[in-house]
Amino acid sequence: MLEQQIDGVRRRALERIQSAANADELEAARVEALGRKGFLSNASKEFGKLAPEERARAGKLLNEAKQAIETALEDRRARFDRDTLKAKLESEWIDLTLPAPGIRPGSLHPVTQVQTEIEELFISMGFTVLDGPEVETEYHNFDALNIPANHPARDTQDTFWLTNGLLLRTHTSPVQVRGMQKLGPPLRMIAPGRVFRNEEVDASHEHTFYQLEGMMIDRDVSVAHLIYFMMTLLSSIFRREVTVRLRPGFFPFVEPGFELDIQCLICGGPGCPVCKQSGWVELLPCGLVHPNVLRMSGIDPEEWNGFAFGLGLTRLAMMRYGIDDIRLLASGDLRFLNQF
Amino acid sequence: MRFSYQWLCELVEGTHPDPVELGRVITMKTAECEGVNVFAPHLARVAVARVLSVDPIAGTHNRKVDVDAGVYGRRTVVCGATNCRAGMTTIYVPPGTTLGVLAIETAEINGVRSDGMLASGQELGINRDHSGILDLDGQSFGLKPDWTIEIDNKSLTHRPDLWGHHGMAREVAAITGLKLLDPVQMNLIPARSEPSPIAVAIEDYTLCPRYSALLFENVTIQPSPLWLQYRLEAIGLNPINNIVDVTNYVMAELAQPMHAFDAEKLRGHTIYARPGQAGERVLALNGEWYDVGPFNVVIADDAGPIAIGGVIGGGESAIGEETTRIVLESANFQASSIRRTSSILKLRTDASMRFEKAQDPVNTLRGLARAVELLRLVSPGIRIVGGLADAWQPKPAPAPIRLPLDWLDRKLGRATPAAEARSILESLQFGVAEAGPGVFSVSVPTWRATKDVSMKDDLVEEVGRMIGYDTIAPQAPLVATTPPPANEERAFHHRVRETMVQQGFTEVYNYSFVSEDEIAVFGFDSADHLRLGNPIVADQQLMRSSLLPGILRNIRHNSKHLDAFRFFEIGREIHSSADGLPNEIPHLTAAIFTRETAGTQLFELKRVAECLVGDAAVEPVEGGSYEHPARAGVVRAGGRDIGRLFEFHPSLVEGGRAAVLDLDLRALESAQPNERRYKALRRYPASAFDLSVLAGARDLAGLIQARLAELAGSDLLSIEFLRQYEGSPLPEGKKSVSYRLTVADPGRTLSSDEVAAVRARIIEGMRGLGYELRV
Repeated sequence: MLEQQIDGVRRRALERIQSAANADELEAARVEALGRKGFLSNASKEFGKLAPEERARAGKLLNEAKQAIETALEDRRARFDRDTLKAKLESEWIDLTLPAPGIRPGSLHPVTQVQTEIEELFISMGFTVLDGPEVETEYHNFDALNIPANHPARDTQDTFWLTNGLLLRTHTSPVQVRGMQKLGPPLRMIAPGRVFRNEEVDASHEHTFYQLEGMMIDRDVSVAHLIYFMMTLLSSIFRREVTVRLRPGFFPFVEPGFELDIQCLICGGPGCPVCKQSGWVELLPCGLVHPNVLRMSGIDPEEWNGFAFGLGLTRLAMMRYGIDDIRLLASGDLRFLNQF
Repeated sequence: MRFSYQWLCELVEGTHPDPVELGRVITMKTAECEGVNVFAPHLARVAVARVLSVDPIAGTHNRKVDVDAGVYGRRTVVCGATNCRAGMTTIYVPPGTTLGVLAIETAEINGVRSDGMLASGQELGINRDHSGILDLDGQSFGLKPDWTIEIDNKSLTHRPDLWGHHGMAREVAAITGLKLLDPVQMNLIPARSEPSPIAVAIEDYTLCPRYSALLFENVTIQPSPLWLQYRLEAIGLNPINNIVDVTNYVMAELAQPMHAFDAEKLRGHTIYARPGQAGERVLALNGEWYDVGPFNVVIADDAGPIAIGGVIGGGESAIGEETTRIVLESANFQASSIRRTSSILKLRTDASMRFEKAQDPVNTLRGLARAVELLRLVSPGIRIVGGLADAWQPKPAPAPIRLPLDWLDRKLGRATPAAEARSILESLQFGVAEAGPGVFSVSVPTWRATKDVSMKDDLVEEVGRMIGYDTIAPQAPLVATTPPPANEERAFHHRVRETMVQQGFTEVYNYSFVSEDEIAVFGFDSADHLRLGNPIVADQQLMRSSLLPGILRNIRHNSKHLDAFRFFEIGREIHSSADGLPNEIPHLTAAIFTRETAGTQLFELKRVAECLVGDAAVEPVEGGSYEHPARAGVVRAGGRDIGRLFEFHPSLVEGGRAAVLDLDLRALESAQPNERRYKALRRYPASAFDLSVLAGARDLAGLIQARLAELAGSDLLSIEFLRQYEGSPLPEGKKSVSYRLTVADPGRTLSSDEVAAVRARIIEGMRGLGYELRV
């Protein structure tokens, strides 16, 4: 009798728990089944009337019913919590397509970017980076580079002279001289920097531009070594194999001297306005350091020799980014500079 | 320098590469070819024509001309040339031909169908004569289209020999393996035994190492034959008359400039080559007077200067139509003196361009010999009078160069077989002998020995360029793995750049030049600036002693396009220094522009300063002339001034406000904390309390904070600004500044009584200093 009642209560309680639509209904179901005045509490009071063996069976049944109800209650409650949390989180929706506030990074000048890359490359190959003055002496800019006064090579570098007899360096090569004097052999150095030529400015000419000088002095430095560094440099900058050609070029501070051309990256060789229809772009004057230059910097050319090169950083940056007007680089126009 | 393909081919025997290929190999082995262009292509279409009849066309100057145009048969053309007459032979240009920019087509002119045209020498590209149609006057006409090969002058700076076709032909022969022909017959020079009617006196053999001359008589001045005019025209020289054209032809062929004087106009029988004298003036062939001086070589006769040696001939001794006797000069001058003269006189001539490259003194006689041959062609009946005048003190030939072949291989980075090296050097007419096993003894031809080739390194180039630099495989050197010396300053600049970019600033580059007007805006004194002697534009002649003028320019430019922006420049201020090189001080100058006027830009820049150096602080000062008077301060860090933070004076900036942070990068770098040391983490909790100080509206918050910190003493862990407030209910002219102070003891937890005591001490101390505290 009692056992059947327990069974019935259990069934009814489980049904009410399952059908409870909210926390209140669930609580009502709990009080009815498990409350102090609930059926199961009362039922246990009836146990005294039962025979011992019946009592034991009914007790077991009662415990099982309590457990089942409690488990059901727990499950149902957890489910309500989950639903509540879910609803709450759902209400916290935000529109991620709205713009994020705060400042954005600016950008480095395109020449700086190319320059930094090359600096890092050469530092990784054991080169030191040197700086030299922008206002130079005639000695460092010309004489010490084997370009004495009245040498026709001076014509090729239209020079800004200051009224006090100093000049604005026409190339970064004077840093070679300063580097040799400062470090002595063996040495590996590069020197990026601003240089000046007294030229009318147009889309492809500037009176102010950037070069990167490089030099290595050691024992038995060869043309093959020079080519190795130039190829490494160019494939690193352009992030692909580039086709180059090395041809004779005259610069008084090297012997032999070369012009290194790269195959035009715009047309790939057949010729276009950028390469003046030649298929090649002149990029890197270079050569083995002239013995006179070594000697003037106190280095014995019988013991040491080396190579030197001068890279047109500005032209390189223009090629890298497809900039067709050199004047933009010093325009300070942020509509241009913010693109890099 | 422009070369004629036909001319070069004439000097090299065999099958020549086509012009474009020739240009390419010259570029790869000798000197940079800037272009190969067809010259006078129309000559392939024109024909010699005999004028059959000339009939006037009523009402015009033109005439109807019938010609027998050879392969083109009988043609009728309309011609306006006054020299057109029946029976003459001239050149007929058929329709469909382009002469320069002029396209010749059949056309109806003055009612006559004109089927082609008769052309002038200028129209044909043979000379500059446009006075009438070309009159062949019995000459044959075999001129063919030529090609011009344009070589970059820069790449010939070191090669005196390449300023003539024969020198370039020598290169072509060496490159192609063909045989070089020599156009010079030295036996045309009179024997040494024959006395010369002219004496030559060289005062300074350094300035004028050699002066050779011949006297000619029975000279006829007339136009050169067409082939000669055409040659000169093809390479851009102006045909003038037979004598001048021969001197130019020899110069273009042998790189030996020459000059012809009218012998009748010379006074005396001696030609002097001497330094100019102060006050001397020379009337040059171009009609200009030039002041000469001791730096010039003057060619003079008994009465005075007749030419500026190596640069230009004189007007008074020039040949003219009446000339019958000439003195032909073939001399040699010191390169540096010629260059100096030509740059001082601002006079560059074909002669000076060649002499300044250091020409070969041996070449003077070759030039004369070639000229004798040509003069006989262009001036029939011409005769040499007497013997050769030749003043020269030959220098001993330089010793042969020792060239160890293993050394050569090490320089090039590839092996060159001895036989190949020898054959290359010999093809360039170097003398090669064995000086020992694996060592050549190389003698240098005179035309390469003046300046170009003097040591074994020069021979590396000769062999290297001819074997082809593209045959050298790249090779990484084997070197010690020592780390390179670090450039801390440059690395620091790069870090600063990165910080600036992360803070939203874009990098600009400005020129190093500023104008007087620009610095006047800033109140800088132009006397403090280094000055260009030769600026491109007169108003950009000062070297910047501050980055600010450029920054202001950038602000003004960009504010036309953008409402808000921030940017920076890292560049050098250039300050003159009493001795030696100027002081170049690297600066970081950053600017923020917005349309608002509240001054938030200043705090953004102050934050940037703190990002660059942690302890950056700003001490307000009264602004200077270009600064906002109440928004300026000195930036300090690491115990030193490192720069300035200010707003540009609003009168300088339209449409908004611009704040600037200008830091001396060396000072900023030295202000960086150099060492960091770990401090043990605190084990005991800290306590915090807030204090609000009532102060005058213009009392500096920084000062209040410093006083609070000082009073808190060693208990203070940190002090944090919370807020500042002005307005009701505070009295007028007052503000409240609130701070949160955190106090702690490293060894234990402070009791609440102890914390309260610290707080009370601070309050009392502040009151003692005259501040009220809102507690």
